[in-house]
Amino acid sequence: MSKGILVDIPKCIGCESCSVACKLWNELPWDSQEKNKTAEDRAKEPNKGLWPDEWTSINRYDVKKNGSSVGRYVKTQCFHCEDPACVSACFSKALKKLPEGPVVYDQKLCVGCRYCMMACPFDILRYEWKKAIPGVSKCQMCPSRVTNNQETACTSVCPTGAITFGDRDQLLAEAKKRIKDNGYVNRVFGEKEAGGTSWLYISDVPFEDLRFRTDVTTKSLPSYTEGYMKLTPFIGGTWAAVLAGLYIYNNKNKEPLE
Amino acid sequence: MASKAGQVKKLSRRSFLKIVGGASLTGVSLSLAGCGEVATADSAAGGKGWMPAQYNAPGSWPTNVRGRVPIDPLNPSIVRDDQKCILCGQCIEVCEKVQSVFGNYELPIKNEFVCVNCGQCTQWCPSGAISERDETDKVFKAIADPNVTVVVQTAPATRIGLGEEFGLPVGTNVQGKQVAALRKLGFDVIFDTNFTADLTIMEEGTELLKRVKGDLKKPLPQLTSCCPGWVKFVEYFYPELIPNLSSAKSPQQMEGTLMKTYYAEKKNVDPKKIFSVAIMPCTAKKFECQRPEMVSAQKELKDNKVTPDVDVVLTTRELARMIKRSGIDFASLPDDQYDQLMGTGTGAGVIFGTTGGVMEAAARSAYYLVTGQQPPSALWDLTPVRGMQGVKDATVNIPGIGNMRVAVISGLANARTVMDQIKGGNAPWDFIEVMACPGGCEYGGGQPRAAAPPSDEVRNRRAASLYQIDAKATLRNSYDNPQIKEVYADFLTAPMSEKAEELLHTTYISRASEFIAKKSDNM
Repeated sequence: MSKGILVDIPKCIGCESCSVACKLWNELPWDSQEKNKTAEDRAKEPNKGLWPDEWTSINRYDVKKNGSSVGRYVKTQCFHCEDPACVSACFSKALKKLPEGPVVYDQKLCVGCRYCMMACPFDILRYEWKKAIPGVSKCQMCPSRVTNNQETACTSVCPTGAITFGDRDQLLAEAKKRIKDNGYVNRVFGEKEAGGTSWLYISDVPFEDLRFRTDVTTKSLPSYTEGYMKLTPFIGGTWAAVLAGLYIYNNKNKEPLE
Repeated sequence: MASKAGQVKKLSRRSFLKIVGGASLTGVSLSLAGCGEVATADSAAGGKGWMPAQYNAPGSWPTNVRGRVPIDPLNPSIVRDDQKCILCGQCIEVCEKVQSVFGNYELPIKNEFVCVNCGQCTQWCPSGAISERDETDKVFKAIADPNVTVVVQTAPATRIGLGEEFGLPVGTNVQGKQVAALRKLGFDVIFDTNFTADLTIMEEGTELLKRVKGDLKKPLPQLTSCCPGWVKFVEYFYPELIPNLSSAKSPQQMEGTLMKTYYAEKKNVDPKKIFSVAIMPCTAKKFECQRPEMVSAQKELKDNKVTPDVDVVLTTRELARMIKRSGIDFASLPDDQYDQLMGTGTGAGVIFGTTGGVMEAAARSAYYLVTGQQPPSALWDLTPVRGMQGVKDATVNIPGIGNMRVAVISGLANARTVMDQIKGGNAPWDFIEVMACPGGCEYGGGQPRAAAPPSDEVRNRRAASLYQIDAKATLRNSYDNPQIKEVYADFLTAPMSEKAEELLHTTYISRASEFIAKKSDNM
């Protein structure tokens, strides 16, 4: 059963327990500059505060709701697409979608081409520019925990239940129930976006105001290219056969060189 | 060709290179193709290659994680170092269970992080991740400026806490050493907040008697207002009880105001060049001194260049840090005396530092104010209001007024239950003292961190030390303080006079619109 995480944006109080848990579980080093940034600072950054060692970040947006200004916190990390574009773009199989949900990365297989970064519709992956042998980095959705029937590190520490771990199907039903009960915006971000993602977001303010990429396609991204990309071996083989044929034909009546 | 036995067949250089090159090419192409890294679902996570850490929990992962409270990055009182946080949840424990702040608001939040700035989380945090906002640099800078007169006041409870930072036993009274250290650090004038604690009693006691007699159209019970954490708690959760709060400022703010008015006038110092520092056992005081109402001196003198009544509040821990940074050997300092004018306090003032102290001091003064006589021995040792129980109840008999029911509360969760009673209309009390921190200021959010988690043992020892100072004091009634008599005679005329109202009293605002209060079950 594919797992997922439901983010109930109005329930988040901005304590950032999740990002600390991510650092602790994944043993990511602290950066003195990043550490002192506030959620408001990160929301203004072009990369939303995601760096090679910051796999998740909490961003604060001040938005208007019923005429008054309210603050909302959005947890940002890899969405873990159901059919990930990064995985299909990776020719060295360094990225991989597990049946449990996480999209994981293995640097040993990575050649550093960064096609995955181009492919990602949410601009999540980061390249380790500072390293001698760089890889890309992103949230791995705690694969060793998830496949051992544990919840992710971030959801395990959330004090308000703003992020919940569970089966994606059940969470989707729960999300729709909460939308109805609490009068949220009628959209589960991640239900269909990019063909569906493991992380689902619900909100009481429009997603556009929270810097979500709301214009993203609802089709799975690899499905756009699958139709003709799978012809590649056939076209290649045919082309080689054609050229070989032409060569043989051209040289048919020639005398071999002495 | 017949080969001879024993003859070694020579490997030509060409074929050697062929073999080695071929093997390398095979290896390179195999590893490029990902062979040898069989990535099945099982091995992908929990096996080699795909996981963030080799074992199922990295060494940095704490054994028990429960999250933490949110802290506004702009909080004037407390800051948190994420790198030290171990998500143990102790801050949630104290904020929710002891202070009843966290979890007592509905989600979603509006704008503000609901926080009463009490700083108990700094005491409970086992890794030191949460601490006071350090403002020692501002004070060092002011001391270094020769044009500025740096005037400092020390709260009742710092004298019995500071010694712990330098290895002295819990509760050691280091009043004299503290003054000596401050003088050595370069503070120009050193006053005692005990003086304005006495002044608070005069103002607040007079206000209470006026309320009881009906001269002042304000409701009973009167609630104390010297604890800024408690005041903010009322403003958040019980705005309808704001009229019950005494309008008297806290001792810190009274002292700050008087520094820039009374002291400046008496000693002929330019109030614009007075930098007022307060050494407090409290983080909420940092918030209090930044409240927009706390600019009485500026208003009184009608001069915008006069800075707020208290410019900087330092916690006991920060003072200890300053002393250590300056390389002062604290333990060997000789005892020194406070500067006069506002440097004498009575025993009634010093017990402000523990829960029940304000009540005891107020009872002594109320008796005196009504009868004009020294109170009976029972009021010199008001045992029902001493000790570490969350809610204490006592009856004080004052001739001419009758029996006054009083309550003493420490810890905001305890206050919440009593406030709900008042709202429900079944509160028999006339006067209620509330301190946000369990035990009162002596275990405030700015006091030295004890080695063990906050415990009543430490609280009792610190409180005992304060009561001992009171017991040994020659003057034990606020009214007997000669400097209090002087300030009223020379400057303020009388308690709750027009000038006293202007300088020593304040107003409160409702913060109920900043969040959605939790709908309690019994309402």
